[in-house]
Amino acid sequence: MIETRELTKYFGGLCAINNLNLKVNPGEILGLIGPNGTGKTTAFNLLTGFIRPTSGRILFEGRDITDKSAHARVKLGLARTFQLVRSFPDFTIKRNMVAASFLHPKIGFWEAIFYTPQYRRKEKQIAEETGTILQFLGLDSLENEIVRNLPHGYQIMVGIAIALATKPKLLLLDEPLAGLSPAEVSRALEIIRELRRRGTTIMLIEHNMAAVMNVCDRLVVLNFGTEIANGSPDDVSHNKDVIQAYLGVRKNAA
Amino acid sequence: MRLGRNFGWLIVIVVAFLIPLLLHDSQYFLSVFVMCLINVLLTSSLRSTASTGQVSLGIMAFMGIGAFTSALLMMKLSFPIWAALPLAGLAAMAVAAVIGFPFVRVTGLYFAMVTLFFCEVIRLILTQWRTMTGGSTGIVNIPSVGTISVLGLNINFSHILPYSYFALFVTVVSLLILYRIDRSHLGTHFASIGQDESVAESIGINVIWFKVFSFCIGCFFAGVAGSLYAHFLTVLYPDVFSIFPSIYILIYMVAGGRKSFIGPILGAIILTVIPELFLSLKTYQPFIYVAFLYIVLYSMPGGLVTLPGIIGARFATMRQARLRND
Repeated sequence: MIETRELTKYFGGLCAINNLNLKVNPGEILGLIGPNGTGKTTAFNLLTGFIRPTSGRILFEGRDITDKSAHARVKLGLARTFQLVRSFPDFTIKRNMVAASFLHPKIGFWEAIFYTPQYRRKEKQIAEETGTILQFLGLDSLENEIVRNLPHGYQIMVGIAIALATKPKLLLLDEPLAGLSPAEVSRALEIIRELRRRGTTIMLIEHNMAAVMNVCDRLVVLNFGTEIANGSPDDVSHNKDVIQAYLGVRKNAA
Repeated sequence: MRLGRNFGWLIVIVVAFLIPLLLHDSQYFLSVFVMCLINVLLTSSLRSTASTGQVSLGIMAFMGIGAFTSALLMMKLSFPIWAALPLAGLAAMAVAAVIGFPFVRVTGLYFAMVTLFFCEVIRLILTQWRTMTGGSTGIVNIPSVGTISVLGLNINFSHILPYSYFALFVTVVSLLILYRIDRSHLGTHFASIGQDESVAESIGINVIWFKVFSFCIGCFFAGVAGSLYAHFLTVLYPDVFSIFPSIYILIYMVAGGRKSFIGPILGAIILTVIPELFLSLKTYQPFIYVAFLYIVLYSMPGGLVTLPGIIGARFATMRQARLRND
């Protein structure tokens, strides 16, 4: 699905990502974990084009996308959410969805100005499509609410909803579970699994280890920008380097 | 609901078309009316750019480009008004497109600063380019609209009453286009960039392109306003298109409420008309503006448009308190 080749990023003299060779297979849920400040979000920013790598290439479905801008990558099917899953807080949920979904059907400027029947038809079509997404995420009854006024759990769902409105093939979620209640976490994990079942590949940064172990097919562990482990949750949780760097040594485990 | 809103707009437009008839006795009030329209158009143009989070302090530069383009096209190449007016807009828009790509890469305060300096640069060019613009003495004897045949009637739009209708027509058409942009997905894209550029980029919006686009739209209508101004006054001085009036336009927008479409229109009308009613206080105009702006921003941070909502909420709480006391 997406692949990086010797991806390296320096911030000044600081090496944030060092020689990363990452591969995400179609249809999997890949967890990217590691201690704080280790380059997980930097890796996401590189993959989605928000920052440029110092060296190395990024391939999406076999195509080199290293020089493509972030918005162009979205059109190829690469969507992301941000930490604290951001959306547009001053808009209603409905308008958030409009912002995110008008890029797929080509719409001319004059169509919009003259409010042609064709334009109205597209508006209707988008309302139907986004309605399905909102229903799936349990937001359909709230679509006329201003996002700012919603509880945190719902705001996170809105962030995921606008990412889904871009019809991604690969969805990168950056700590989507932070600040959610246990019930909301299990609901979110259900949604992630259901998305995969519908054919979206998912890459996940998360600190909630129980959730990560539960939902991910495969984990990649970063430490100081370098990959230190790669494998099934079970393998990784027994890996010595990982335990030392991240999970911590259990006193009774020795 | 939709029908109701459209009906409301229709009433506003009809009332606007009646105003010149009521004022037709007074040359002075008619000229205030036309200046009001020009300010409304400028303020709404500014809002179109500001909706992406870019506050331009140089809108007068684009009005100036439009005004001189339109005047010179009619004087030197004897273009008719129906060609000169949109070309004035296009000229301003072309300049905006060229400087837009470098300018929109700086945000917030820095964008305000570069547009401010650009405004000064344009004013200096207009002052120094004597062969075209007449230098600091400006150009005089700009042809007005002249005679146009409307529905079989030949009307001389150079007279002030017909001209005010001409200006009203141009303003209403421009505002309708701006309104449609605001209501369509384009307006949603602009406002989403204004809220969070990264999120906008993450859902596939080409942020740089849309910022330039909104800048171009704003400058196009500023150019059109310039054309209206040129053929209304029939004289032009470069010094009119300076930084200070640009800031006034910004004040109209902020005082009216930039979040809504009607806000900047209200702000422009109120702040253009009030100083004219108290003409003896003209010297104190900046003080009055500052005081007015302060009161508005302190008591209604969303601008004048939020006043009915605030009053409504106040009454609702009062009524509830009374019900509880009973």
